Amino acid sequence: MSQEDTSDRLFNPTEEHAMLRQTVADFVRREVEPQAAAQDEKAVLNQPLFRKLAELGLLGITIPEEHGGAGMDAVAAVIVHEELSKSDPGFALAYLSHAMLFVNNFYHCSNDEQRARYLPKVLDGEWIAGMGMTEPGAGTDVLSMATTATRDGDHWVLNGTKTYITNGCEGHCFLVYAKVDGRITAFVVDRECPGFSTSNHIDKLGMRGSTMAELIFEGCRIPAANLLGEVGGGLAHMMRNLEIERLTLAAMSCGIAARCVDIMVRYANERKTFGQPINRYGQIQRYIGDGYAMTQAARALTYNVARDVRADRRARIGSDAAKLFAAPVGKQVADWAMQVMGGAGYCREYPVERLWRDAKLLEIGGGTLEAHQKNLTKDLTKQLGS
Amino acid sequence: MKILVPVKRVADPDNANKMKVTADGSAVTSEGLAWKVNPFDEYAVEAALRLNEKGGSGDVLGETVVISLGDDEVIQTLRQPLAMGVDRAILVKASDGEIDSTVVAKALAAVVEKEQPDLVLMGKQAVDGDSNTAGQMLAEHLGWPMATFAMSIEVADDGKALVVGREVDTGVLTLKVTLPAVVTVDLRIVAPAAVKNGVTPDDHAYNEGARYASLKGIMKAKKKPVDQTSLSDLGVEASPLVEYTKYELPPARSGSATFVESVDELVEKLRTEAKVL
Ligand SMILES: Cc1cc2nc3c(=O)[nH]c(=O)nc-3n(C[C@H](O)[C@H](O)[C@H](O)COP(=O)(O)OP(=O)(O)OC[C@H]3O[C@@H](n4cnc5c(N)ncnc54)[C@H](O)[C@@H]3O)c2cc1C
Repeated sequence: MSQEDTSDRLFNPTEEHAMLRQTVADFVRREVEPQAAAQDEKAVLNQPLFRKLAELGLLGITIPEEHGGAGMDAVAAVIVHEELSKSDPGFALAYLSHAMLFVNNFYHCSNDEQRARYLPKVLDGEWIAGMGMTEPGAGTDVLSMATTATRDGDHWVLNGTKTYITNGCEGHCFLVYAKVDGRITAFVVDRECPGFSTSNHIDKLGMRGSTMAELIFEGCRIPAANLLGEVGGGLAHMMRNLEIERLTLAAMSCGIAARCVDIMVRYANERKTFGQPINRYGQIQRYIGDGYAMTQAARALTYNVARDVRADRRARIGSDAAKLFAAPVGKQVADWAMQVMGGAGYCREYPVERLWRDAKLLEIGGGTLEAHQKNLTKDLTKQLGS
Repeated sequence: MKILVPVKRVADPDNANKMKVTADGSAVTSEGLAWKVNPFDEYAVEAALRLNEKGGSGDVLGETVVISLGDDEVIQTLRQPLAMGVDRAILVKASDGEIDSTVVAKALAAVVEKEQPDLVLMGKQAVDGDSNTAGQMLAEHLGWPMATFAMSIEVADDGKALVVGREVDTGVLTLKVTLPAVVTVDLRIVAPAAVKNGVTPDDHAYNEGARYASLKGIMKAKKKPVDQTSLSDLGVEASPLVEYTKYELPPARSGSATFVESVDELVEKLRTEAKVL
C-alpha cells in the first residue's frame, strides 16, 4: 500500500472500503495469520475464529442493513476475500461458502418469514452454512443434477447426494438445489431434517482451513415453507449467485498472489548467494517483476468487474473472465515465490507451500477454467446477435 | 461520564522502514506513508469506550469524543475511532509546522473549557516523536489531577473518582484521582480486565487489545459529526517552543548475528569483542 495511490480509487473506491480493508487486514495480522499453519495441518475449520467474523459484521456483508447486514457491495466482498486469503485461503473459503454461497444467495431468494427464521442465526455465526450444487455425477454439467424433490403434504421429500460441499462437516443449514419434475428448484435444509446426513470429511490437497463433505438426502423431509422462491426458479438463483461466487474466488486468488509477491520481494532482498542478494539476478527479477505485474492485472480486472456485480443485473461475462484470468495467476505467482525461495519455499516452515496448494483450487471450484472458457465463448458469441 | 480522547495521526509503525528524511535533513517526508491512529491513543479510545458502556449490552453510559489537530486529511484518521464506537469528533485545523506539545496542550485546554468533559483520557505518548509531554502539560494548564502510564482504571466513589494503577519499576503504584482529571494510558490498559466501570459485569470478557472497527461501525462513522475549529478560533497562538534542527535516519543495521553457547561466553564477547561492557 504505497505506490498505489492512483489505483486506490479502483481498489478502495470509498472511505468505507478503505476502512473495511484496514479492519480486515488488522484482524488478519492479529488473529488469522497466527493460526493458519496449524489449521492446515489439522484440516478443520477454526470455529471460534469464524464466529469473530460475525462480531466484525462480515457474515452479512452484502445484506441490507434493515435485515441485519452491513449493506455493502461486491467490491467490499472482494476486499474481504482478498485480505483473508493473504494469510489463510482455506479459512476464506469457509467464509465464502457461508457469506456468499449461503447468506447472499438465500437473501435474494427468500421471503420475509424465511429471512426471519434463518438470517439472525447465520448472521451472528450461531449457525454455519453452505451450499449444495455439485453432485457425484454432475459438476461442470450441473444442469444434469439427479437430486429430486417431491411434494408430500406439508413437506418436500429430497433424494440424492451432493458432493464436495464446503462447510459440509460443521454446517447447520444448506441451500440445496434439487429438481422438481425436472425443474431446478432451491431449498433450505437443516441438519436436523429427518433423512439428512453428511459423509465423513473429504480430505484434500489445500484449502484445509475449511472442510468438505457429501450431503446425503435419503427421503429427507423438509417443511414446505423451506422452498426458496418458486418451483423451477432455482436456475435463476444459481446463475445470479455464481457471479459473486466467481468474483470472490478471483479475489482469493489475488490475495494469494499479492502475499506471494510480498514474500518473494522480501526473501530475494535478504537471501545471498555468491556474495550478493539473489534479487540481483535477472532470473529472479523476472519472477518478481512478472509476478507483480500479473498480480496487479488480476486485481485490476477483478475490482473492475466487481463494480458491475450486483443482484439486480447480470455480469456473467465479467465474473467468468475475472476468475479465468485470476485463478492461474495465484497458482503461478505462488509457484514463482516457491522457486525464489528454493528449498525453504518447499518447506512447511514457510507459508508459500501452503498457499501454493491452496491456489490450485481456484482453477477448479466454482467452475473449472474450461467451464469459464465454455461460458465466455457462448456468451460472447451470443453478443454477436447472430 | 463525558470523556475527551485526544488522538494523533502517525505514520503506520508497521511500515516505519519507509520513513525518509529530506536530503538536507530539514524534514521527514511523509510521501508514501500510510497513516494510522497513534497506537497508545487507540488504547485510550478503547479504554474510554469500556468506561462508557455496559459491556456486552450495547448500552452507552456517557459521551465519548475524540479530538485531533491537523489538516483536513486527519478527518480520515478520525473515522477510525468513530467506527469503533466514539460518538463524535473535533478537528482543530493546524499545520504540522505550527504545533508542538505546548501548542497541543493549550489547544486541548481551550477545547476542554468548552466541552467540560469529566475525563481527558489519552495515550502516554505518540510513537513518532515519543515526547510524552502533552498529557502532563494539559493537566498543568487545567489545574487538574493527573495520572500517567495507566495500566488499570477503576471507577470509584460513585463515579467521582478513578483508581488508577501505574506500572513502575518496583511494581504497581495505585493512585486515586478526583474527577475531572487527565489520565494517560500505557499498553496494558487494553488487557481483558484492565478497565472496571462498576457497571459492566465482572465476568464480561473483553478481547485483548483495542476493538476492531466493525462493519456496522464503519457504515455509521460517516454519519457521525466532525466539528471543525481552528487554533485562532480557540484563541491559541501557533508558536511552538520546540524547534527541530535536524533529522537523520538511524544507521542501517549491520545484520550479522553471532550465536553463543552460554551466558559466560556472551558476557565475554560483549566485553572483548563488542566492547559494550
Ligand atoms: C475444495 C472444493 C470445494 C468445493 N465446494 C463446493 C461447494 O461448497 N458447493 C458445491 O456445490 N460444489 C463445490 N465444489 C465442487 C466444484 O464446484 C466442482 O468440483 C466443479 O464445478 C467441477 O466439477 P467436477 O469436479 O464434477 O468436474 P467435472 O465436471 O467432472 O470436470 C472434469 C474435467 O472435465 C472438464 N470438462 C467438463 N465439461 C467440459 C466441457 N463441456 N468442455 C471442456 N471441458 C470440460 C473440466 O473442466 C475438468 O477439467 C467444490 C470443489 C472443491 C474441490
